[in-house]
Amino acid sequence: MTCRTGPGPDLPEGRRTAHTDAAFTALLEDSAEELYESAPCGYLSTLMDGTVAKINTTLLNWLGLTRDDVVGRLRFTDLLTVGGRIYHDTHFAPLLRMQGGVNGIALDIRQADGGRLPVLISSVTKTDHDGRPLLIRTTVFDASDRRAYEQELLRERQVAEEARRRAEEDRQRLQEALAVLQSSLLPAQLPQVPGMEAASHYHTASPDRLGGDFYDLFPLDDRRWAFFLGDVCGKGPQAAAVTSLTRYTLRAAALHNPDPVAALTTLNTVLHERYATGDPRYCTAVFGVLEPEGDTVTVELASGGHPPALVLRQDGPTEYLPTPGGLLVGIMPSAPFTSARTVLGAGDTLLLYTDGLTEARTGEKRELFGDEALLDFATTLTDTAPRQVVTAMTGLLNSFGDGLDDDTALLALGVPMTDPTPASDT
Amino acid sequence: MSPLTTTVHNTGTGPLLRIAGELDYSTAPELRELVTGLPLEPGQRLVLDLAHLGFCDSSGITAFIVARNHALAHDADITLLAAPGPVLRVLRVTGLDQVFSLAPGQDARTERAADG
Repeated sequence: MTCRTGPGPDLPEGRRTAHTDAAFTALLEDSAEELYESAPCGYLSTLMDGTVAKINTTLLNWLGLTRDDVVGRLRFTDLLTVGGRIYHDTHFAPLLRMQGGVNGIALDIRQADGGRLPVLISSVTKTDHDGRPLLIRTTVFDASDRRAYEQELLRERQVAEEARRRAEEDRQRLQEALAVLQSSLLPAQLPQVPGMEAASHYHTASPDRLGGDFYDLFPLDDRRWAFFLGDVCGKGPQAAAVTSLTRYTLRAAALHNPDPVAALTTLNTVLHERYATGDPRYCTAVFGVLEPEGDTVTVELASGGHPPALVLRQDGPTEYLPTPGGLLVGIMPSAPFTSARTVLGAGDTLLLYTDGLTEARTGEKRELFGDEALLDFATTLTDTAPRQVVTAMTGLLNSFGDGLDDDTALLALGVPMTDPTPASDT
Repeated sequence: MSPLTTTVHNTGTGPLLRIAGELDYSTAPELRELVTGLPLEPGQRLVLDLAHLGFCDSSGITAFIVARNHALAHDADITLLAAPGPVLRVLRVTGLDQVFSLAPGQDARTERAADG
C-alpha cells in the first residue's frame, strides 16, 4: 500500500472521493450492536421500576459483573453506592419523572471488587405515542479522571486556604509582638506624682512601623521625680531597639546620678559606643528632675538636640525654655548638653513634645507648622492644666490630617491650681 | 511635591554635591547611597550645597551625618553650603551647627553664574 499524507496530485477529484469512502466502510463495518456493546461509555435500559432490562459490555466490565448477574435481577439503584442511592431517590428520580430527562449527574457506582467508580449519569425516559413512560435509557461516563482533577483542585484550594490562614496567624502574632514591644517603650500609665499632675499622648503614624519616640516619668527618691522624652532617628525594629536601650540607660543613669547633664552624657557614651560603626543611630532627648518645694515645683532639665520645652503660665506669658547648643545624643564620643531651670507655680505646665508636632506640614504649600505657630497656638490656651494642654495639642495633631506622618509624643507636667494633693489628680 | 535631585561637580578641592528638592523619609536613602559612593581623597573637602533644598526633616539630617561619617572615614572634611533658614534652624536645635562646618551661600552674583 502506498502511503500518502495527502491526496495525490495526479488523482482526479471523483476517484479521490470513492477512495476515501472505501476506507471509511472498511473501518466502520462494525454493526450498531457492536457500537452499543463496546462504546466508550456504559449503556443501560431499565423498566420504570428500575429493573435492568439491557446493559452493555462496557458497563458490565466496569461493574465487574456478568449480564446474567444483572439483567432482570438488579435495579439501577443496586449498582450505586449507598450515598448514590440516596441521591438517586431524593433528586435524580424525581427530576427524571418531572422533566423526562436528567443530564450529567455525578454519582459513584459500586464495583464487584469493592471499589467505587465515579461516573457521570444521564437518563431519558422513553414514552409511547400517548406519552406514557415505557423505559429509561441511561448513559454512564467514567469520570475518574475528571474526579481526580476536581479533587486535585480541591486539594490545592485547601493548601492555599491553609497557607492563607497561616499567614494571617503569623501577621496576627507579629502585630501582637509589635504591640508588646511598643508598649515596653512607654509607661503603661503615668504614675501619680504628689503635688503634681501629669498627662501624655502618643500619636502613632503607622501601626506597622514601631515608633522611635519615647517618654517616661519615675521617682528618684521619696521627694524627687525624673522625666524624659525623646526621639530616636528612624523607624522600625532598629529604631525600637535604640529606643529600648535609651529608655533603660536613662532610667539606670538617673538612679546613679540624677544630674540631667550627667544622665544625657551617660546615654551619649552608651549610644556612641553601641552604634559607632555602620548605620548612625542617635536620638534627641530632654531629661529633667522635678523637685517640689512648698506650692511650687523646681524643674532642672537638660537637652541633647531636642526642641525646647514649652512653659505655659497660669498668669504669665507662654514661652519656650531655651536649651541651645545641646547636641544630638550618640553621634560624637563626647557631646555638650545644655541645661535650663524653671519653677512651676500653681496652674503652670511644662510641655515636652517631639518634632512630629513642629515638623507637621500644613496648608496648601505644605509648609512646616514650626515652633512659632506652636507658640502662638499655646498662647491661645486659657486652661493651662496638663490634661487640658495635652487634649488641645492632641486636637491640633488630629487637625494636621495626613500632614502629620511622623510619630509624636507629648508629655505635660504641671502643678494643679487648687488642692495640690494626689487625690485631686483624677 | 518636588522630588529630590542631586548633581555632582568635581572641584579642585573635592566633590560638590548640589541637593535640590525635598529630603525626607522617602528620599533620604537615595542621598545616603549617593554620598557614600563619592570618592574622597585624604585632605579633600566634601561640600553639600543646600541652597535649593526646599524641605529637610530628621531623615535628611541623618543623611548629612552619614555624609560626615563618610568624609571622616576618608580623612576628608565636610561643609554644608548655603543651608536655607529652616534647615539652619534644625541644625541649631540639634546642635549640629557645632559639628558641621557651615558656609553661607556664595554671593548672589556667583550663585546665578554657577546655575548658568
